[in-house]
Amino acid sequence: MTASLPLWPVYIDDFFGALLMIALALAAFIYARRLSRLDPENALWVYIFWFCTALVILAVSRGVGHILRFLLVLSGHNAAWEFLSPYSGGLNTLAFTAVAVLTFYYHSMQRVIARVQADARSLNRAHDALTELNQTLEQRVEERTMELRLSEQKFRHLFEGSKDMIFFCDSQAGITDINDAGVQLLGFKNTAEVIGRSLKSFFVDQEQCDRYFRILNDQGHVKEFEIEFSRRDNSRLYLMITTSAIHDDSGTIQSCEAIAKDLTRFKEVTDQLIQSENMASVGQLAAGVAHEINTPLGIILGYTQLLEEDFAGQPEVFDTLRTVEKQTKICKRIVADLLKFSRNTAEWVKKATDINTCLNEVLSIVEHSLNMDHIYVQRSLASGLPRVLVDRERLRQVLVNIINNAHHAIGVEGIIGIWTSYDPKFQEVEIVIGDTGCGIPAKTIGRIFDPFFTTKGVGKGTGLGLSVSFGIIKDHNGSLEAFSPPRQQQFLEAGMHTTFHIRLPTRPEGDHNA
Amino acid sequence: MWIRKNFTQPAPGTGDVASRFLSRRTIIGMVAAAILLPATPALAVQLHGAPEGLYVHMLAHVLYFAALLFLLLTIKKRPPGHSAAWRNFRLALVFFLLWNTDTFVVHWLYSCLPDTAFAGHSLSDYRLTGPLTPVRWIYYLGRFDHLLCVPAMFFLVLSLRRFCREAESRPPTTPGPGS
Repeated sequence: MTASLPLWPVYIDDFFGALLMIALALAAFIYARRLSRLDPENALWVYIFWFCTALVILAVSRGVGHILRFLLVLSGHNAAWEFLSPYSGGLNTLAFTAVAVLTFYYHSMQRVIARVQADARSLNRAHDALTELNQTLEQRVEERTMELRLSEQKFRHLFEGSKDMIFFCDSQAGITDINDAGVQLLGFKNTAEVIGRSLKSFFVDQEQCDRYFRILNDQGHVKEFEIEFSRRDNSRLYLMITTSAIHDDSGTIQSCEAIAKDLTRFKEVTDQLIQSENMASVGQLAAGVAHEINTPLGIILGYTQLLEEDFAGQPEVFDTLRTVEKQTKICKRIVADLLKFSRNTAEWVKKATDINTCLNEVLSIVEHSLNMDHIYVQRSLASGLPRVLVDRERLRQVLVNIINNAHHAIGVEGIIGIWTSYDPKFQEVEIVIGDTGCGIPAKTIGRIFDPFFTTKGVGKGTGLGLSVSFGIIKDHNGSLEAFSPPRQQQFLEAGMHTTFHIRLPTRPEGDHNA
Repeated sequence: MWIRKNFTQPAPGTGDVASRFLSRRTIIGMVAAAILLPATPALAVQLHGAPEGLYVHMLAHVLYFAALLFLLLTIKKRPPGHSAAWRNFRLALVFFLLWNTDTFVVHWLYSCLPDTAFAGHSLSDYRLTGPLTPVRWIYYLGRFDHLLCVPAMFFLVLSLRRFCREAESRPPTTPGPGS
């Protein structure tokens, strides 16, 4: 007989195991139900609740099956067990399937939940950001407004405080805004007078205007372009302008912004420097020529005078010789002026001189002839002027020369104004001699100091007077300038049409540190 | 070509009505009906034999195993929590997987064993007959499946009880692990 294994231990295990499974499944179900009630919206607890429900079905179907089996078989109802057994197995199958479906479905649901949670977090962040923005909006607006105000103030200060002209134009070159410096440079009183005017109307040279706008259109900017503007009073204004065009999206110029630096003074100084250089060259040339011509002229004059004595009894010859003598003397005078211009003819005798006294001495000589032509002198001499180290004779020569020119410009009936003043900043004494004459045309004012330039008729002027005067003042380390019309308002109000300004330093020669 | 020649064009002397009635579509339909409707037993109703129940039950075991294994791996990969409750829950899943494997093997071995492997006239007399091969020993030991499923259910209860305590002690505004 072969060994066998009894199955009753298995049945006992099934019986009591089934009872325990039912009890534990019910306990799990109770806990799961409590969890789902505590947090009904928790997907995990919902899943566990249905998971435990399926386990209860599984445990009950299996457990009841095992228990009924014992009871029915022991009571001899095998047929009844065979009838019920498939139902027990079928429920088990359903419970397994239910657990599997729930598990896979829960996983999918979790992904949906994760997506929803991510969206919810994103919404929460957006909500928090919006809430914070809303709470701090007023403060931020205030801060930004303050920043904008500061920025606006900064650029407004730069715009208004600049000594250079800053302006804005529209697409038609009409000025839309300009700073105070620009208004003053153009000779207007306020901004409103300038706004709306075309920039082109200020150009003196049309060709220059066309070139400026052509460069601006082609390159979008103009850098350090030298232009000549006409002020309101038609005087000239030299500017170095830098302009940037502002384009729209299509590349069309909408407006432009420009900054212009006043070069008028610089240009005048440059012109004077060029003139000085020219005159220095001409002076050297003149000195050479005068020296060479002076000797033969002396010989001609000497022989002419000897011949006059020899032909005193022959009137025709004598008159001819007198004419030769007269013309030779004119030549001698011209040569003498040339030598004065070249400043090599005599020694300089510089002495401390009171300018007002020197002026009065000159006026006492020329005033009579002025009054003959109903020209009167208005003096405005500052008292207490420091003495100036000058060669008195030469200074008198300069003053006489300028006053004679004023006389010639006025003709008859007019006023010659004379002002003296002291500029402590530059330690200079200034003499201004103005006249109410015809003025000097703009095209000739730049040439009046050129040697041999004269507007007088033939035989009336040599064109060396102002050149010589310029040289004399230059040798005193001073400056001689002419303005027509005058720049300063006080001379305009006095009715002057031309002013000559002589500036003489009061500090010792060579002392540049004072 | 023959059909087109003889049927799609009306024969000389015949009318249009006859040609439309004997169209190509009609002839193809008649041939298909003759093939698909022979006089044989109907195949639409599927019969379910006795083994099908066992197969369905075992497939359900496979599905159950796959679902629990998937759940266990998911929890391990992205742990929702690290408390004792979750440890018990993972233990419950492990025991359920072992129990499921055990019952699947027992079902399969039972179908393999001959009827002579079992003998007896009453519950107290039933036994597994010899020879006691390893297969029969495995089957015999595997029948004690409650030694696996009861601990599984026990750990599940422990886990749920801890979850309940944690949920009850948590402030109302704090979200739970599945929220």
